[in-house]
Amino acid sequence: MKEITVIIRRDKLPATKKVLDEMGYPSLTIQSVDGRGRQKGAMCAEMDYDMPDSFCTAVKLTPTPSEYAVEHTLPKAALYVPKRLLTLVVPDDLVSTIVKGIIKVNKTGRHGDGKIFVSPVENAIRVRTGEQNGEAIA
Amino acid sequence: MKMIRAFIRPEKEQEVVLALEGSGFPSLTKMPVFGRGKQKGLQVGPVHYDELPKTLIMMVVDDKDTDNVIAIIQDKARTGFVGDGKVFVSPVETAYTVRTGEKTL
Repeated sequence: MKEITVIIRRDKLPATKKVLDEMGYPSLTIQSVDGRGRQKGAMCAEMDYDMPDSFCTAVKLTPTPSEYAVEHTLPKAALYVPKRLLTLVVPDDLVSTIVKGIIKVNKTGRHGDGKIFVSPVENAIRVRTGEQNGEAIA
Repeated sequence: MKMIRAFIRPEKEQEVVLALEGSGFPSLTKMPVFGRGKQKGLQVGPVHYDELPKTLIMMVVDDKDTDNVIAIIQDKARTGFVGDGKVFVSPVETAYTVRTGEKTL
């Protein structure tokens, strides 16, 4: 079994759910998270506008600084972009199909499309029946 | 690659994030969480708080950077009192960048 952690754009969630549904793997956990990548939360990079940074400031296209920074009026605030985090646990042989499917619907070619992490899971247990491993996620 | 999940005090988040950014690790995901530890929450006079707010910082880094990142988090999130939080490290086999579809972090 493998755990697939996916971080995607908020507006791509319905499409992702649909494609997972079509592949026969509808089970997932969704979380609203804030994050940033190599662009350090820059919205202009995120949208890949051919605009200078000064344009971003002019049209107030800045991401929200963390609440703590606002509250304490810090001179420098870490910036975050709201994202959706999905967690799926799938059998080993389905990992590449599911990853491909997720990439296909989420790819826009612009920065901020997200990341997919695949990590091992040792055991899974269905609480209702006590089934273990493969049976629990089937 | 390793996934580092750090449960830290919400008021220390900014400090930790800026320190990580300064050391060249800007990418992270954060979420507010509620939990408790060994002390089963917090007792303030007659009031007992079972679950306390924490911030979960999740980041995936290369194996060689793991110790460095943990040291930075530990240094910045530490107050010396109970409730400073925990750091968990787990393996990640593959990381994909959705924009390119490549297997890169």
